[in-house]
Amino acid sequence: MTKRRMFLRMITASLLRRRSRMLIALLSIGIGATILAGLVTIYVDVPRQMGAQFRSYGANMILQPTEAGALTEESLQDILSVFSPEELVGATPYRYVRLDMTSRQQSFNTAGTDFSQVVKTSPYFSVEGAYPASTREVLVGKEVAETIGVKPGSTMELTYQPSVSISNNPQDDRTPGAQLSGSAEGWSGGIVYVSAVLDDQAKIASIQIDAHSQTPEFGGRATEDEEFAAQFIGKALPLTLGQEVDALSGATVTSTAVVDALNNARKATPAALPHTLNFTVTGILTTGGKEEGFAFISLADMESLTGESKLDVAELSISANAEQLDTYVNEITEKNQGVAAKLAKRVAKSEAAVLSKLQALVFLVTAVVLLLTMICVSTTMMAVVSERRREIGLRKALGASDGSIRAEFLGEGMFLGGLGGIMGALLGFVFAQVVSVNVFGSSITFQPLLLPITVIVSMIIAAVSCLLPIKRAVAIDPALVLKGE
Amino acid sequence: MSLLELKNVSKIYGELKALDNVNIHVDQGEWVAIMGPSGSGKSTMMNIIGCMDKPTKGEVLLDGTDISKLPSKRLTDIRRDKIGLVFQQFHMVNYLTAVENVMVSQYYHSMPDEEEALEALGRVGLRERARHLPSQLSGGEQQRVCVARALINHPELILADEPTGNLDEANENIVLDLFAQLHKEGTTLIVVTHDPEVAEAAQRTIVLEHGRVAREVINENFGKQ
Repeated sequence: MTKRRMFLRMITASLLRRRSRMLIALLSIGIGATILAGLVTIYVDVPRQMGAQFRSYGANMILQPTEAGALTEESLQDILSVFSPEELVGATPYRYVRLDMTSRQQSFNTAGTDFSQVVKTSPYFSVEGAYPASTREVLVGKEVAETIGVKPGSTMELTYQPSVSISNNPQDDRTPGAQLSGSAEGWSGGIVYVSAVLDDQAKIASIQIDAHSQTPEFGGRATEDEEFAAQFIGKALPLTLGQEVDALSGATVTSTAVVDALNNARKATPAALPHTLNFTVTGILTTGGKEEGFAFISLADMESLTGESKLDVAELSISANAEQLDTYVNEITEKNQGVAAKLAKRVAKSEAAVLSKLQALVFLVTAVVLLLTMICVSTTMMAVVSERRREIGLRKALGASDGSIRAEFLGEGMFLGGLGGIMGALLGFVFAQVVSVNVFGSSITFQPLLLPITVIVSMIIAAVSCLLPIKRAVAIDPALVLKGE
Repeated sequence: MSLLELKNVSKIYGELKALDNVNIHVDQGEWVAIMGPSGSGKSTMMNIIGCMDKPTKGEVLLDGTDISKLPSKRLTDIRRDKIGLVFQQFHMVNYLTAVENVMVSQYYHSMPDEEEALEALGRVGLRERARHLPSQLSGGEQQRVCVARALINHPELILADEPTGNLDEANENIVLDLFAQLHKEGTTLIVVTHDPEVAEAAQRTIVLEHGRVAREVINENFGKQ
């Protein structure tokens, strides 16, 4: 048998056959290690936990188009790709427009937004009723609701009254509800006038053709010919003669002019006319803030009303620390011309401050617990030494050097430390889990690295705690065994 | 040839002279008893011979080395290498089995060897009790384990402090028989006792009184029983 095996045999025998005393030492180390492991877990997890908490106070990053730039839903998705899915809590686009409710002679700010994101970036929004789930539904701020007297379930109409002609995008074929009028040159220089009204789907609902400038027997018939006019109903612009609509027989030039006039009308005044949509109120919003003076509709409805798909602002809720947020702001600003990112300083800063305070507190408690554990283990080991005075004396009388005595006690201490550490790492996780669930309301994941760290730290603590007791043990006089005590 | 020689050894605690100018010598292979009433200086002498204490004055030659002025670390080495100790109170490590207790002595001396330790226990008639804890052994059995532990490293000197003080007659005889055997094998034995019967088993008895050697008695009957 090697010396090492005998050493281990003596230590395990000492621990296993003297259970009650060793259990106390083990318990003190174990409890210390439990609290240590638990607090370290919380310490590490707190930023994440607090981050989640802070995210409930609203967005911490704002994206806005610069004066020359533009922000659209597509470019927003592009920008968001810099964040990892874990970091991005939510990103809410907003388009603010003042809409009228003519029946009440009121007008108020209305935001087109994505309600699935609103829930994430503004969790503090309190809705009586429900968030709109589809188009033609509106969430009304409390203040607005009181002014116009609506409740969930009420219907209201919202009208977009453009102050200037906005759309100059010829590709824009969605001009629902618009009234169009246009003209085109027909037979021998005569002008053909056409006016039409579009329905909700931007399809032609009614059409009036004025072809009095044309030859009455030929093109002039277009003014009166109901069959010819009926072809246009339910068709979307632009149109091509010979495909969606057929020419009036013997009046191809005039027919072409009618189609051209319609297409010209669409190009010239796609959405420049007041447009009204009917909405159902799904909920009343209470926030205690300026949002109560707004109505919220879906971006799709806002687009239908205004004929535009631009965004005024996007509010982002990012789970990251202040430093990372700064990095992101720079990255986004550099990468995206025309979009400026900035931090909602108040939220980001106070988060960092609270975090550092909380971590300092946890750190302090950890240090105190460590100290208490050391005192406890040291006291127990001290008792162990005085209990084993005779045995130590005997060992020394049998020829044990001071080094051997040190090694044996240190060995026992570290064995206890290791065992207590394993116990602590596992119980500590449970402890941290309970704290996390009760305080932060979310669970934590087990950090595999915590096990070796706790075990090593526990062993070090146990070893340090044993130093004084070992000094005592080494000082024991071997002669005491001869005195027949 | 002398194994142990005390020359003018004194041990003084303040006013008290525990040992007062003591001169003794013990030959290699000799069996010596040291007797004396309580306070006569037996224990002090025992501690000095056992390398657990140093004299205030005088020389102590053990196997030719003066151990009276050595640092305690060196004394530990000498005690481990040359001396086997047997105590009145048995003194076993109470959480180790009989054989493990014997092996502890091997562990500090050189290498633990369970087989050899079991053999030593066999010699004191306890081989079948080798796996018992001290609490499961009688006083006599415990003392026999201690004898096995003392002889396991083949010491030149076995130093026994009242080895039979807590034993009944039957066990006393077993222990004395073991000593006689060791003596025959050439081991030097110094037995401190105040039991005349134990002293009579030795070749020579040194009687201490008030820290001095009062007289030495040669046992005429040694070996005749």
